[in-house]
Amino acid sequence: MLAYVIRRLSYGGVVVLGVLFFLFVVFFWVATPDDIARRALGEKAPPEAIEQWKINHGYDRPLWPWQSLEDNMLFSHYESMLTFDFGRSDADDVPILEKIRTGAGPSLALTVPMFLLGLPLSVMLSLVVAVFRETYVDRMGVVLCVLGMSVSILLYIIGAQFLIAKLLRWFPISGFDPSPQVVMRFLSLPILVGIVSSIGSNVRFYRTVFLEEVHRDFVRTARAKGCGEARIMARHVLRNAMIPILTQVVIAIPFLFTGSLVLESFFGIPGLGALTVEAIQGNDFATLRTMVFVGALLFVVAQVLTDVSYSLADPRVRLE
Amino acid sequence: MEAWVISNIVTSLLLVSSVLVVLAVRRSRMWSEAMGSLWKRRPIAIGVVAFYLAIGILDSIYWVGGINAGEDVVSAHEAKSVIDRLFADSRERSYSAPLADVEFYGSAPLENPGWHLMGTDLIGRDVVYLAMKGVRVALLIGGLTSLIAIPLSLLFGISAGYFGGRVDDVVFFVMSTLASMPTLLLLIALIMAMGRSTVSICIALAVTSWVGFCRLVRGETLKLREQDYVQAARALGVSELQIILRHILPNLAHLVIITFVLTFSGLVLSEAVLAWLGVGVDGSWGQMIDQARSELSRDPVVWWNIAAAGLSLFGLLLAVNMVGDAIRDILDPRTLRESP
Amino acid sequence: MMRVAQWVSSGAGVVRCVAVFACAAFALSCSNSPYPDRDDDVKILYSVYGEAPKTLDPAVSYNVSSSRIISAICETLLEYHYLKRPYELIPGLAAAIPEPVERADGTVAYPFALREGAMYQDDPAFELGEVGRKTRPVVTADYLFALKRLADPAVNSPVAHIFSKIVGLHAFGERLVERRKEPSFAALPLHEQYEAVGPVEGLVAQGDYAFEVVIDAPYPQMLYWFAMPFTTAVPWEAIAYYDGNEGRPRFADHPVGAGPFRMTHYDKQFRIVLERNPNWYGAMYPEWKAPGAVYPAEGEPADLEKGITSDALAGRQLPFLDRVEFRREKESIPVFNKFLQGYYDKSGINKESFDKVMDGNQLSEDMAAMGIQLDRVVDLAIYYIAFNQADETLGAPAGERGKKLRQAMSLAIDAEEYIELFHNGRGIPAQSVLPPGLFGYDADYRNAYREPDLARARALLEEAGYPEGVDSETGSPLKLRFDTYATNSAQLIPIRYLVDSWRKLGLDVEVESTTYNKFQEKVFNKAHQIFQWGWVADYPDPENFLFLLSSGMAGPGGPNSSNYRNPEYDALFDAMKARPNDEVRAETIREMLSLLEEERVWIELLYRESFVLFHDWISHYKPPGFEFSTLKYQDIDAQARAEWRRENNKPVLWPAYVLLAISIAVIVPGIVTLIRERQ
Repeated sequence: MLAYVIRRLSYGGVVVLGVLFFLFVVFFWVATPDDIARRALGEKAPPEAIEQWKINHGYDRPLWPWQSLEDNMLFSHYESMLTFDFGRSDADDVPILEKIRTGAGPSLALTVPMFLLGLPLSVMLSLVVAVFRETYVDRMGVVLCVLGMSVSILLYIIGAQFLIAKLLRWFPISGFDPSPQVVMRFLSLPILVGIVSSIGSNVRFYRTVFLEEVHRDFVRTARAKGCGEARIMARHVLRNAMIPILTQVVIAIPFLFTGSLVLESFFGIPGLGALTVEAIQGNDFATLRTMVFVGALLFVVAQVLTDVSYSLADPRVRLE
Repeated sequence: MEAWVISNIVTSLLLVSSVLVVLAVRRSRMWSEAMGSLWKRRPIAIGVVAFYLAIGILDSIYWVGGINAGEDVVSAHEAKSVIDRLFADSRERSYSAPLADVEFYGSAPLENPGWHLMGTDLIGRDVVYLAMKGVRVALLIGGLTSLIAIPLSLLFGISAGYFGGRVDDVVFFVMSTLASMPTLLLLIALIMAMGRSTVSICIALAVTSWVGFCRLVRGETLKLREQDYVQAARALGVSELQIILRHILPNLAHLVIITFVLTFSGLVLSEAVLAWLGVGVDGSWGQMIDQARSELSRDPVVWWNIAAAGLSLFGLLLAVNMVGDAIRDILDPRTLRESP
Repeated sequence: MMRVAQWVSSGAGVVRCVAVFACAAFALSCSNSPYPDRDDDVKILYSVYGEAPKTLDPAVSYNVSSSRIISAICETLLEYHYLKRPYELIPGLAAAIPEPVERADGTVAYPFALREGAMYQDDPAFELGEVGRKTRPVVTADYLFALKRLADPAVNSPVAHIFSKIVGLHAFGERLVERRKEPSFAALPLHEQYEAVGPVEGLVAQGDYAFEVVIDAPYPQMLYWFAMPFTTAVPWEAIAYYDGNEGRPRFADHPVGAGPFRMTHYDKQFRIVLERNPNWYGAMYPEWKAPGAVYPAEGEPADLEKGITSDALAGRQLPFLDRVEFRREKESIPVFNKFLQGYYDKSGINKESFDKVMDGNQLSEDMAAMGIQLDRVVDLAIYYIAFNQADETLGAPAGERGKKLRQAMSLAIDAEEYIELFHNGRGIPAQSVLPPGLFGYDADYRNAYREPDLARARALLEEAGYPEGVDSETGSPLKLRFDTYATNSAQLIPIRYLVDSWRKLGLDVEVESTTYNKFQEKVFNKAHQIFQWGWVADYPDPENFLFLLSSGMAGPGGPNSSNYRNPEYDALFDAMKARPNDEVRAETIREMLSLLEEERVWIELLYRESFVLFHDWISHYKPPGFEFSTLKYQDIDAQARAEWRRENNKPVLWPAYVLLAISIAVIVPGIVTLIRERQ
């Protein structure tokens, strides 16, 4: 198992190298160093300022090794990423580590409660629906799920802001302030919207997974032995449904860190999701590559964790 | 070749192939029984899906000329679909409420009083027309994307899970690389490279959305590979391809169906977010919703645009989900055994 | 287990207690106030910004949201009169507006005299000069230092090309680059580098409180640049100290100035706070009664009526506010909603809320009853559709044919309807390049091609050889392209409207929407065809608009993105540029405009009108038509605001209680049955 983990992690290293290359290619396919400079300097900047900006920030060098072997951007891209020297943002020259530090707090404050509340809730609800399968509760549940799934998250946000914040005045409409006495005021609504908007598809997915297990032979055996329904659900069904659940859960973990793009943007929460989107829209290569690099590292680790948790949850899965 | 000619050809090819599929289904007893029981279980949902498909097809057949387009001179020598022709001369100046006789703001008389079932939008287009135009886009986004993404993920997921080793490594590499890239950046890059059209957005969405399902397939195959019957088949010397086709693939069928349904609705929904981010498809319900986002805070409120887009979307997804559920029940042999 | 069941079934009282407690906790924590601090006894103005400032370095910043903040922190030499229209310069830190002196060699000198004794804000950076020192006076050297920074390639100011008019400044920058190749030189602090590179001929110090700026040719608009933060005094200590090392922020995140406010909090992703600066010259020397330090006595006639000018106000010491809180808001709808709740003091009107806020041309009764007031101002800006003159079909290569085509297309666009549909009527159909409020604007001028006339347009199209949009030479329909980087539906719909207007002529214009980068690439390569653009004034002079069409500004990356090159226009432009605002200049401008009228390089669409809403606890606020700082003139009544907010923001809690009751009613019996069953 340890050998497996080490092997997987070293493959992960290769993946990260690939991601860095792929990002470099994709980014400079979409944007040129001139575009980066233009975004940094603003609409009215004259061509001379753009040229100067490129010189000051090292974007005047050739991109590829075959253009210049000793001084090209691809190599220095790898060099700075692999030495964890993230440097400064192209948009505003702020150290990127500082950006990540200030953005991670709000992002995690939003996604972690969303995850910790949302997951058990949807697993519980889907268990309930699975217990009452083939009854009106199940049918109602499915219809409610589909109803919930057919509504765009944009509508959930606008609806919540209108109803809860504007009409009922429970929380501010949007914004953020990290001082402890008010921070939950700002986060409650986005957390609520995040959970409600995803609960439909989650419950539906877990219901399918549970029904799958409910129909298996060992469940019937257990029931024949006289096990209570609750015990069957907890002991047999939930346990055996762990693989699909784990896949969903562990893979979601790195994305807790990268934040929720739509919620952050609409509720004005200065997190990492909003930071990444701004980096994409603002041609901020230095910030974007760091976010992607860190995301890829987390992702690789999460992948390995998924496989390990498979084998822990289901002894039939062998890791070699 | 012009886009509308291609659309006509593809549509007729699709129609022909669906007739062939129906004929094939009729020949096979198992499938015709399955379809029969599907029809018995969900007649309304199937009817609704068929209705959407019909609108989508009507909006995919184009020809030039023979159109009365009012002030719009250009339309006369443009290719127009059946739906376009139905609404050719329905343009107003600005907002009007459903079935109204006058404009919503300012009460100027309409060109076609009492004719607009769901009113008109900001620049006077009939909302029913817009919603109908959205059907084809939604079917393309949901259907075409799934049709590209699902075979891809099955191919890669099964080979990775079943063969393991080098194959798994390569798939793992491609998957992880794609999954680690921000979706938005990938979408923008792909769309920019292929040009901004519905089909290229579908391809881009497929590239970004196959990874999740692929991972699921890989995990499930890992599990199936260890099942007794697979081990037995392997011991008996059945070829790998046979094992995959006979034992692995059928056991993934329900996952495929569920995923198709989920990705279909997910894609149509995420298109709304994409529209908000500026990578949306022209004329989609997502665009209508995104536009209506601001109309909802108008006062007096303009609700018909979002109602039309939301209801069309909801109707399609509900029907698709219902049919998908029923298919799952029918195709899954274990549920078959248990059902009375 | 039995005991639990009993407790649950018999413990309704306990459940009730818990429920009441939960409700109370909820009710207490529930508030829609976005602010943690009390603000009923300090004068805090709450304002918003959309984009996080990229830099607050006055030499570099060239965008609206950051220059608003910089100009409150950094005092400029000159500034704009708060109330007078047309806009008028008044002295700021300069003792008077300098009179330009033309020299025999063609150069022009601007002699500046500074107010002696004006101090910087307190800042630890000043310890660098002298231990224990918290501030120091603003002196000539700081201005020369700041102006030299504009030419420093390492600073990379976007306006370096404007200031290279200063004699010898460009050469200074080049010498600097040359010397920086020695590592020992490059390691020196910036002010020592500048010292070592030697003086600039065009920057002449005359003691600690006077200096002369010499430019190489007459350029009357130069004075306006001294009213912008680019030319504000920069202390060398701040540059040396705030270098981003050892936990110190960079100067770009920590500007040090001598303005009426200083920055006390900078979390640029969501909150920026300015506080009153006790060292500001207006606060330290109230006896000076400097024009920029006291409330003006005169304004426009209408200001008297609105109470913006009055005898009681005239001459009062500025600033009125103790603190300005800027919060970041990316979307316009929440800003407006928070404004209605009293959490922002001012707001624009978004398109969606317009019909609720306005009743015809007036504020609606609901709004007026809430004590909300409205002011409106025409922005110094123009929005237009432009044709790329380098284009084969539409531009100069197509000669007379292209011109007729452009004229026809111009006649098809109904600006009035456009404004009504997409701007709620907030705007004036543009007749020329110049918006109202500028010298040379003529309210009676009517552009012959800006009155929609489809019949005439069709006739012109036929003359151009495209009857009904079909090329009579080749017989194939004309295909045109509208290039845009608008990608979401809200931005695309107005373009759809324009395109549909042209369809009425038979012109098939396809909308090509790409990313911003791709669009820029097309413009750079002159591969664009029809596009929509706007220009917001830097300063209130017609030159700042007319230059957009001069050949000097054409070429890759230049602001003349329609690539219009006309020697006749250029000659007129040069003549107009150097003239004071007299009849000759007006006549020249008229000639230029009539040339443009015929040429149709642009289809002038609209001059936008901004509607500003504000609560009545704000007093004497007058919105400016372009960006200059008015913070120091505004005042609020914090007490009145606090009361209003309390009155209008009580949370509506009954739905929460109803929800809670329902869930208890559903869950408790369920649990009870479940437990009973298990027995």
